[in-house]
Amino acid sequence: MSGTWLTTRAWLLMLPLLIVMIAVIGWPMMDTVRLSFTDSKLVGTQGSFVGLDNYVRMLSSTNFTRTLVTTLWFALISVTAEMVIGVLAALLLNQEFYGRTVLRALMILPWALPTIVNATLWRLIYNPEYGALNAALTQIGLLDAYRSWLGEPATAMIALIAADCWKNFPLVALIALAALQAVPRDIVSASLVDGANAWNRFRYVVLPYLAGPLVVALVLRTIEAFKVFDIIWVMTRGGPANSTRTLSILVYQEAFSFQRAGSGASLALIVTLMVTLLAIAYGTVVKKFAGSAA
Amino acid sequence: MTALTIDNIGKKYGDVETLKGIDIALEPGEFLVLLGSSGCGKSTLLNIIAGLLEATSGDIRIGDRSILGVHPKDRDIAMVFQSYALYPNLTVHRNIGFGLEMRKVPAATRDKAVRDAAKLLQIENLLDRKPGQLSGGQRQRVAIGRALVRDPKVFLFDEPLSNLDAKLRMEMRTELKRLHQMMKTTVVYVTHDQIEAMTLASRIAVMRNGRIEQLGTPEAIYNRPETLYVATFVGAPPINLLNVTKVADGLHLDGTEIVLPLTAGTAATIAEGRKLVAGIRPESLKLGQDAVTLPVLCEVVELTGPELVVTGYVGQQKLIATLAANSRASAGALLSLSVAPDALHLFDPETERRIN
Repeated sequence: MSGTWLTTRAWLLMLPLLIVMIAVIGWPMMDTVRLSFTDSKLVGTQGSFVGLDNYVRMLSSTNFTRTLVTTLWFALISVTAEMVIGVLAALLLNQEFYGRTVLRALMILPWALPTIVNATLWRLIYNPEYGALNAALTQIGLLDAYRSWLGEPATAMIALIAADCWKNFPLVALIALAALQAVPRDIVSASLVDGANAWNRFRYVVLPYLAGPLVVALVLRTIEAFKVFDIIWVMTRGGPANSTRTLSILVYQEAFSFQRAGSGASLALIVTLMVTLLAIAYGTVVKKFAGSAA
Repeated sequence: MTALTIDNIGKKYGDVETLKGIDIALEPGEFLVLLGSSGCGKSTLLNIIAGLLEATSGDIRIGDRSILGVHPKDRDIAMVFQSYALYPNLTVHRNIGFGLEMRKVPAATRDKAVRDAAKLLQIENLLDRKPGQLSGGQRQRVAIGRALVRDPKVFLFDEPLSNLDAKLRMEMRTELKRLHQMMKTTVVYVTHDQIEAMTLASRIAVMRNGRIEQLGTPEAIYNRPETLYVATFVGAPPINLLNVTKVADGLHLDGTEIVLPLTAGTAATIAEGRKLVAGIRPESLKLGQDAVTLPVLCEVVELTGPELVVTGYVGQQKLIATLAANSRASAGALLSLSVAPDALHLFDPETERRIN
């Protein structure tokens, strides 16, 4: 069979999917690009061509810079915490103990629940009038009076990050646990005979097998955290005083709350570009790590 | 003083007894091979010596010191694994020196030890590579180097050659023998390969179902197997087992008219009418015109190069003989084979133990 026919057939087989992709991703994307060069409102006027005005205005606004910092801050802290807690949980669940299977299954729960459920649950925990956190902290004497954790700029972000960690550390733990089970027993035995202590065993025996999968988890989580929307929207809507407003929230506000479709579109494209760069950067790192423990 | 004493070691997993009262005492410099099929308990025993598993009962001593409950790193042992077990992201140099590095041996001393070992194993040119860049044979040399630099009281090898191809396995076998002749350290070596066992060991412990079936020199294991199991496990092609009955002047081969002669000493010790199993090594069968010969109907004749392997039947019983390559034998032919009376291994079919 000729190569040309094979190629043609391959394209034919992919055609239905391509049509759907173009319809639901390609066309809206192109339309977003078109919108971003206009001063269109969400409803009403068609809007006219304004060139790069939207981009210049968005990139030079203090709102954008502040929001970018907030987003990076959220991504950095929550992903770091998730990685550390996830790996520790995996190391723990890799030990042999009674009830391990049950605990392994339970651990998945926060991640398996819909984000909305998680976010609502945490909003209840943080509730300023009857929240469990306030009750617990006052009862053990760490707190004098109930506080509005999500209502104060000083604590809202930390409270959000804690909720996000709770939801997402199981994914990291799951990936790490799978990687841990691939560590050959013989190498662990060899390191015991060689006299490696727990830290050296982790560093020279476990980590080489953990590194590749962890980088993949890091990529996934960083990209997710960078474009976080749902958990924040349910818990704080970006407030108080925009202290938890991330880029995705800003895009939403610009396009839908303020109904500025043109500048909203330009902002959305800026975020898309950033995430794409992240993905490419990490893709390179993943390639480097893949097979590092061959 | 013994180098290693294994004293009545037992191991149980729940109700399953994987080791039952193992007793072995090794002199310094001995090369002990634990030989057996998978599941016989040989690796369990090795892991207990290494401290990677706990024994349920018994004691293990290196020199005079009991090492039960001592951490593997403090037992003065070094171990080589079947899968090489190299640290994937460390260079060959650091892999070999890892045990010394963990023991905080100064870098200069360590470097010298690593280079000496590398020279001995002819891997000096590989010191900067990572394990992933090495072939199987090179990896195993690194693993052996890692054990060598430790200069331990006892070397433990867990099927170290099983992952290598046939040619490399032979080379490494010779290499190990050369190293042992040079270093004269006590070795415990686990394998299921009888050739490795025969060629390397100063003594072999044939294991079966958690027990030692026979402990002896390779010569003793091959020439005077104590049980039917040992007789059949060691030797390729395998020993022939013929059902015979003791009669006045020898052994009557069941299903035939043939009576094999016995040495006078052996004949006197066995009651007439007793059923026995006679073991005959394939190479003990000779083409000949002795007083008594076995008429063997050839079914298959295989030339291996140096010898001719003949598979055939005497009466209803199967027989394999290895003859000189230039012997005249072909499928369908009737051969007259004879066996010397002192080449017979006689076993009781009930107890499976040797009786002559």
